[in-house]
Amino acid sequence: MKKIDWKKLKETDWKKAAKDFWYGKPHGERRLGDLYMPKTGLYKHREWRGVKDTFYYFHNIWLYNYAHMVMDIMKFGGPVTFAKGLWRYRWMGQTYLPVLHWFDRGLEGMRGEALRASAWHYRAMVCVSINQFMNMFKADANLHGGQHNDAWKHTFAHKETVWGGVFYPWQDRFTNVPMEMIPYFVTCHVNNHTVLNYIDAVQSIGLPGDPCPMCQAEAGLFVLDDMPDYAPLVVTTNEACDGSVASTAIQDWYLDIPLFALPQPMQFDDPLVQEHCANEIRELWKFIEDQTGVPFDWGQLKKRLERQNELQRFEWEKWDVAANTNHYPINGVAQALYRIYQSQYGDHYIWHDTDKRVRKILEKCVEQKIDTFPKTRHRVIAWSCAPLYYSHWCTWAYNCWGLNCIINMDSLMFDMTIRTDNLDDCVMDMALYHEWAPMRRMAVGGMHHIFELWENMEKFHCDMVMMYDQLQCKGMQGVHGLFEDEFRARNIHAIWMPHALPDKRTVSRSEIRTIINDYMTTVMQEEPLDPSLLDFDDSESW
Amino acid sequence: MRTLFKILGKALLILGGLYALLFAVFFFDLDGKALFYGVEPFLVKHYDKMQRRDPLKQTYETETPSYEYKV
Repeated sequence: MKKIDWKKLKETDWKKAAKDFWYGKPHGERRLGDLYMPKTGLYKHREWRGVKDTFYYFHNIWLYNYAHMVMDIMKFGGPVTFAKGLWRYRWMGQTYLPVLHWFDRGLEGMRGEALRASAWHYRAMVCVSINQFMNMFKADANLHGGQHNDAWKHTFAHKETVWGGVFYPWQDRFTNVPMEMIPYFVTCHVNNHTVLNYIDAVQSIGLPGDPCPMCQAEAGLFVLDDMPDYAPLVVTTNEACDGSVASTAIQDWYLDIPLFALPQPMQFDDPLVQEHCANEIRELWKFIEDQTGVPFDWGQLKKRLERQNELQRFEWEKWDVAANTNHYPINGVAQALYRIYQSQYGDHYIWHDTDKRVRKILEKCVEQKIDTFPKTRHRVIAWSCAPLYYSHWCTWAYNCWGLNCIINMDSLMFDMTIRTDNLDDCVMDMALYHEWAPMRRMAVGGMHHIFELWENMEKFHCDMVMMYDQLQCKGMQGVHGLFEDEFRARNIHAIWMPHALPDKRTVSRSEIRTIINDYMTTVMQEEPLDPSLLDFDDSESW
Repeated sequence: MRTLFKILGKALLILGGLYALLFAVFFFDLDGKALFYGVEPFLVKHYDKMQRRDPLKQTYETETPSYEYKV
């Protein structure tokens, strides 16, 4: 048993201790790194954020989300379907049970309105994820004795990089579920152990280790027979690059169902390409009509797009606050993940519910001039494709160094509303939206778009760039030197963050932190806000 | 009336106890620890042992595609 240190007790400033208990410790005194257990990233105990914020976290985040996860499962298909899916699919059982730890990692150190608004974004992503995997399981022939039930007949499968909006015309009668968004993309953020199985599986049949690990993992899901059989047709695409085309070959082989390839042109500024891409979308609609016998519904398309436009307009309001004030209450990871998820998957009721809640918080912050991230030393823009296993680096960087990630490249991709007054203009806009996809517009969409960084840096009043360096992306590796030259010429502080998208074995989280630490101490000559966060071992953590 | 108060008192005691227990689970990250050391290893063992179909054994057939627009 530990002895009581009477001397230490005598020296304690009880007034200060009471204040810390009630309000939480001030930023510089928190020592968040001391809360971690070695290697696992588990907490000795969760952070004490002061009475108000600790109990907000306990009631409105921890309890609320556990309860709503159960409610979502009941609402979207029931516990039996859920249990069957959990028992059958590795990506389900291994990944999604520790989802509250995903919240913890992303919301570490957050207080007040920033804690609240960011947590609502997480809640929305959890709801949509449950909705998607339950839709998969309800329709899955693997879980229903090989039978193709009614749900199977009313579900479309597509690659996660096909924007869900192209299926709006059928959304009152059919569901669309991306094949990899839940089994691959979201898993990397929640529990990065799972994806390694799929990467290893595809390499075990002869694929070299250097292609894009995203495409490797997506193909590996099929090699390991870990994909539900949930739809009578599939729509694929070449986004992000030819790696996706290659993974499609394996998916097509395995699925053996009617497939429509909906390419996304790379050099999309050419007006002739627009026409071509719009025709591709119309051709897809024809394919769906032929396969299902259900005609295209312009009314549905229009209705859904208008709802999606609402989301985009609010996003612009959020960006306006982020760019021009210090009252923006959403942290870097919540901003990035929510935006990419929402704009890629398309309209869903939970995005609207969330935006309503976040609007209230945002307006409160602006009206009361709340400085939501008061320890901001640098306003950071993150560019290129992010490390999925360390998307919460920005939470760490703010807590440790005061680096506040204001905006990121993926958030800025689908930066448009879509005309809905007539079908011709609508399809042209849809084509452009489709082309402005993540990893397409600003990653492989041509120099002009890749260098949109400079205007966004100015627009969002950022003074530093976190330059993601996806080591296995041949596209972005090809422009590495050009960025180096531009950073020097423009006298911009940029930190290169090497990573391998989902695969933490190539560059670990700890190595990423070391690179940022080195830059901040040697180049910026700054002292950390929380030295306990400089170096810790989370190598086995989720 | 006294019985009612007794029942209410007991209910409050049980709810209070449950609340304290949940807070302890939350604060000491007991959910995380149980999932990390118990549930995940158990499920991983189960998934590792699962019999899986080898999709590469199925033949890969393609039909000649048509590249003409039928809009």
